[in-house]
Amino acid sequence: MTVATDRAGPGGFLGFRGKGVRGKPPVDKFWEEPDIPPVFKIGGWLALAILLLPVVIVVLAGLNAGDFLTFPPDGLSLRWVNEFLTNEQFLGAYLFSLQLALTTTVISTVIGTMAAVFLARTDFPGLGVLRAYFLSPLILPGIVLGLALYVFYVATFEPLTGIRLQRTVAGLTIGHVLATMPYVIGAVTAALFNFDRTLEEAARSLGAGPFKAFMKVTLPIIAPGVMAGAIFAFIVSFGQFEVSLFLSAANLEPLPIAMYISLRYEFAPIAAAAGIFAIALVVVSMVITSRLISLKRFSGIKFN
Amino acid sequence: MTTSADNVTVEGWGNALRVFLGGNRLIWLVLPAFIFFLLFFVFPVLSMLAISFNKAIPGVIDFQFDLTLANFERFFKRALFYEAAIRSIGLATLVATITLVVGYPLAYLIAKTEHPGRNTFLMILVLTAMQLDMVIRLYGLMVLMGDNGIINAALLQWGVVETPLPLMYNFFGVVVGLVQFGLPFMVLSLIGIIRGIDPFLEEAARSLGANRWTAFWRITFPLSMPGILAGSLLVFAISMSSYVVPALMGGWKVLVLPIHIFQQNSELGNWQFGAAVSVILLMSSMLAVLVYQRYAVKTAGGVRA
Repeated sequence: MTVATDRAGPGGFLGFRGKGVRGKPPVDKFWEEPDIPPVFKIGGWLALAILLLPVVIVVLAGLNAGDFLTFPPDGLSLRWVNEFLTNEQFLGAYLFSLQLALTTTVISTVIGTMAAVFLARTDFPGLGVLRAYFLSPLILPGIVLGLALYVFYVATFEPLTGIRLQRTVAGLTIGHVLATMPYVIGAVTAALFNFDRTLEEAARSLGAGPFKAFMKVTLPIIAPGVMAGAIFAFIVSFGQFEVSLFLSAANLEPLPIAMYISLRYEFAPIAAAAGIFAIALVVVSMVITSRLISLKRFSGIKFN
Repeated sequence: MTTSADNVTVEGWGNALRVFLGGNRLIWLVLPAFIFFLLFFVFPVLSMLAISFNKAIPGVIDFQFDLTLANFERFFKRALFYEAAIRSIGLATLVATITLVVGYPLAYLIAKTEHPGRNTFLMILVLTAMQLDMVIRLYGLMVLMGDNGIINAALLQWGVVETPLPLMYNFFGVVVGLVQFGLPFMVLSLIGIIRGIDPFLEEAARSLGANRWTAFWRITFPLSMPGILAGSLLVFAISMSSYVVPALMGGWKVLVLPIHIFQQNSELGNWQFGAAVSVILLMSSMLAVLVYQRYAVKTAGGVRA
């Protein structure tokens, strides 16, 4: 190991030498990064492999030609993808999840954004408590949230109002809105925090009403933050398993529940084919998010 | 409030929403979310808390006013249940530790990667892995680790082992599943902190004669303690509350608290007792967080985890 006397010193991986000043080193090639010791590179790529290997396996299992994934694979085919596209159980579950996630996203984004505007624009002694109040579903285990809602629907809500929410789409959607709203509120609050309020004040001074000023000036500027929150809400709802566990029913099975039921008995390649479509959805959403906002913001933020 | 000719087009909405958005009336904005949370979050949690103090009557969910501690007594008297609580805490601690060891190099790699495109690429990979439905990731893990899975098939074919290694449907499988689950959370908690450490500090140590390794252990690692504590805490909490990972990777043989919650409610219809186990899960998780934070504040020199 070299003893460095200045920034130019580190030998670096692949013998690359940094430029010698703090700031952006002239790195162009993908694998070269002068300031990272090789042991961290190896460890890092290993961790990345642990993270991604199961995903790759699902894609391979879904594209596999045989009846199940063997080692080595039998060859690739679209057999299971085609079967998924005509399978009532899994395609139905996929479309149901999509619809559930869309409804959840709309509700979460609208009322979450409204709440975030309030949280970002007011100041009173209890503000921290209110903020914690809106983030609290993240702390509660998903299975406990689902159970609490189910018990509440059966023991309290139905006897008092006569409205049945247990084992209904509405009841399931409520659970998903609770699980996703913290993300919307977090993303929009962050966007509003960076927003220059004098812009809105300028619009107001030129005669726009508060609603108009908000819609024409503020909203277009914070739109990427709102979109990012909405996309997160969508993905969290689409992949939600634990909250759905007590709230779903035989005719209300989101994709994760349908896959879980199938996984308890067999490794159906058709479930993997459904998984490919779910993976595609998440990858596309994440790429869009990275265009909208800086992903650096996600580091250090708690997600569940 | 100013009126303007421009407002004519949206006058109906404008008038209503000007009241809505204007001045002190901003409070109206927060009301829908506030009421929604009150009705469907606070009340349900209180509901659950309430029935956990009711006598357990299988198949009946109905709040009674005569309260009893019978469910909690049963939990702490029967080894099947209190051992599950201990197992949950032990499992979560182990998973948090392994996740830290595996995740730290990746977080360091991403934090120190300065090429913007590459950085975004790595972040997308981690975020995708995190956001992807855990059941789908478990499918991949199970195909990999089963008795007829890819790993065992390869080992048998190469003659490394005679019989398949028991990689899942046991404690080991649950640990691997939970590490896979917790890894992105750990990495994301660490990246921001590692990136925030001034690289000049490590350089200063090296210019004073420390080698790279010593400089890392004496400078960078201690300074990343807030991220280490936050990440471990987060992974601990999500490992403890996960149902799907122990259910699938443990094949119902690794009995942790969430498994009992599901069995008591869905299979035995024992809602009152199930609610009590949920309360205990929540309490032990919160207790662990409190203990951890006390410890964390000492270790991190007052930096809140």
